Amino acid sequence: MTATATERTSSRAEVRRPGRRNPAPYLFILPAVLVLALVFGYPLLTVIWDSFSVPQLLGTSSFGLDNYATVLTDPLFLKSLLNNLRLFLAVPILTIVAVPVAALLFERVRGWRIYQSIAFVPYVIAIPVVGIVFSYVLQRNGVLNDALHALRLDALVHDWLGDSGTAIWSVLFVIVWQQLGFGIVLFVARLSSLENSLIEAALLDRANWWQRFWNILIPHLATTIEFFFTLSLINMLSWVFNYVFVMTGGGPAQSTNVLEMLLYTYAFRDGLPNLAAALSVIVLLISLVLLAIQAAIRRRVERLEN
Amino acid sequence: MRSNAPGSAFTRRGFLQSGLLAAGAMALPAVLAGCSQSAGKTGQKGALNVWWWGEQEAAGMKGWMNSTVAAYNKSGRDKLGQVKAVLQQSDTLYTAFRTAAAAKTGPDIQYFWGGTQALEDVWAGRVAPLDGALPKSLIERVPKDSRRETYWDGHQWGLPFYELNTAFAYNKKMFERAGLDPENPPTTWDDFIAALAALKKSGVTPFGAGFKDAYLGGWLVSYFGQQEFDSVEDAIAPFRGDVEYSGEKYFGWLDRVKELIDKGYFNDDVLSLDLYQGQQLFETGKAAITNSAQPQIVGFERELGSDTVGVMLAPVWGTGKLAKSFPGASQVLTMTSFSHKEDRSAKFLEYIREPAMMKAMYDACGAIAPDSKFDNAWLTSNTDKRMAELKTQMPSFWFQYYYPFPFENNGVTPAVQQLFQPGGTIAAGQKMLTDSISKWKKQQASEVRAYKKWELLK
Repeated sequence: MTATATERTSSRAEVRRPGRRNPAPYLFILPAVLVLALVFGYPLLTVIWDSFSVPQLLGTSSFGLDNYATVLTDPLFLKSLLNNLRLFLAVPILTIVAVPVAALLFERVRGWRIYQSIAFVPYVIAIPVVGIVFSYVLQRNGVLNDALHALRLDALVHDWLGDSGTAIWSVLFVIVWQQLGFGIVLFVARLSSLENSLIEAALLDRANWWQRFWNILIPHLATTIEFFFTLSLINMLSWVFNYVFVMTGGGPAQSTNVLEMLLYTYAFRDGLPNLAAALSVIVLLISLVLLAIQAAIRRRVERLEN
Repeated sequence: MRSNAPGSAFTRRGFLQSGLLAAGAMALPAVLAGCSQSAGKTGQKGALNVWWWGEQEAAGMKGWMNSTVAAYNKSGRDKLGQVKAVLQQSDTLYTAFRTAAAAKTGPDIQYFWGGTQALEDVWAGRVAPLDGALPKSLIERVPKDSRRETYWDGHQWGLPFYELNTAFAYNKKMFERAGLDPENPPTTWDDFIAALAALKKSGVTPFGAGFKDAYLGGWLVSYFGQQEFDSVEDAIAPFRGDVEYSGEKYFGWLDRVKELIDKGYFNDDVLSLDLYQGQQLFETGKAAITNSAQPQIVGFERELGSDTVGVMLAPVWGTGKLAKSFPGASQVLTMTSFSHKEDRSAKFLEYIREPAMMKAMYDACGAIAPDSKFDNAWLTSNTDKRMAELKTQMPSFWFQYYYPFPFENNGVTPAVQQLFQPGGTIAAGQKMLTDSISKWKKQQASEVRAYKKWELLK
């Protein structure tokens, strides 16, 4: 009888219609789903809806793709996108600097704890504070130029933020200065999970620092580097507003405008929230493309490893 | 147990149905709120919400507003509820209002910066006309030049709350040291250039300014950009599409600004400093002249003494009838289109325009109400007295309050900022100005239609 009952149960399970489920799990996750729907889903749907709504006079509106066409043909959109792409240069710089520094700290060089703390300090300072401080450092009569004067390097004195030729690179420098600590700490944390025996074996084999770095540490960090690289790229696309807003306001002559700044301009300066919504969707799509590229690279790497 | 019973199983369809039901329940308050809009425009009980701004440019206004509201509430003039005034932040003055207006739950009285910066919200349907709600006599007490800034489609939309006049503050002692007459500042362009040259020769920075935060552009175009205009019509004509924004009439001011830059009359770090930091160069004795709002110049006068601080208007270079105009503008209070307390809002606005209230406001923060019942005998500072005197001699006009704000943001600001850079050209500036108008026309078709409907108050 037991065997028959088991078979019957099993058979019932097999034929159970896919729609019929035990409700308990759904009920457990329902509050979380509702919160997520309210916090993320509703605003996202609203933004998407607004991006298709074209305001007319005295509060009326029509519906269509006009906002997208307007944004994509705005010369400032291209200019802003190019600046975001320029800021993408910060990502390889951050990675190339952070990985060896993390490797050195991992080797427990003398005073490594202090160095690690020092490297991380900029990251914990609020971005507006960093922006304001560097505004004073980099302005025409600021600290940096005063120091250059004092060192008799007057040829290098420059209006770093006031010249459209150098302003975006000055912003990039500040981003690298602040974000470097995050990369270092992330890589050190990953390296701390590395089996000591691997390093010890390499040392027994008389592997030098570079050989250990290149053949052991880098492969071990590969997925973390990939994560950090993608995350930083998305940050350079959608997380640099504070730097630009505080340090340059998008100027001079719109030379440091980035997509987020353009979004802010549409929404709050020009009173065009629907264009801002369309641009938000475009930025979201670009970020999703970056994530898709990362996923594709990961799949390819995994295939090669297998 | 019950959910396992046949016929009551928890299905995806059921899950979705439950979700829709929940969403419907969540939307119910909004639907009910929408229904309530059909109620009348007047007589609703509850707090009368006033969202205002002004403490930031007229320090002391908060104290005046609080005491005025307290006195009004105590007087029992409003039987249906109390007035609740909330000071807004500069950065969120517009966004907070627009967000609230979208939900139709915001203030009953809303403050705006004047002119088109208020009309944008009129055109978006968030503001109700004042005529009909406020007594005609009260509206007509406001000078026409002030009323005109928020008069559109045959209606008055904003009640000019206080004047925002701007001018140049100059240091009389620096003028004297440079061999200039400290009591007779230059009034023509040539005299102005000569004075700046003398000041520079004497070893001081002639003009202190900051342009990193982009505000300076709007001031410069308003000081110099209207000097070939013969009427206010000329200010809005390019935006209505009646004429091209081109030629000396519309571009001539760029040449004058470029001349000032090329001759080195500004501080060398204009693009590194914000507007207020540029003004501080004057306050700290590092620059001889700066541009500033009237209450700030009064502050300079109080701080540095009336024997040091003088006030002058922008020099005249143009030949238009508005070349010699008083740089006067007004910030406004409006009644919101979604309020159901129009009668109560009107009563409160009438109250703050009683002479005793206007005098109290001036005494508290130096803000001058544009109202024929404001008595110039109340003025206490030399700056205010001189400005009042100048105002009677010419029409008031402030270009910034007639052009659409994107023109400043996308045209004026970058056009002037690039002039401050090595290699900046007038031709590039001109292109930025015309491009910004084309862009605005493309992006804001509804505002272009509003401009076409704009019949100025005669």
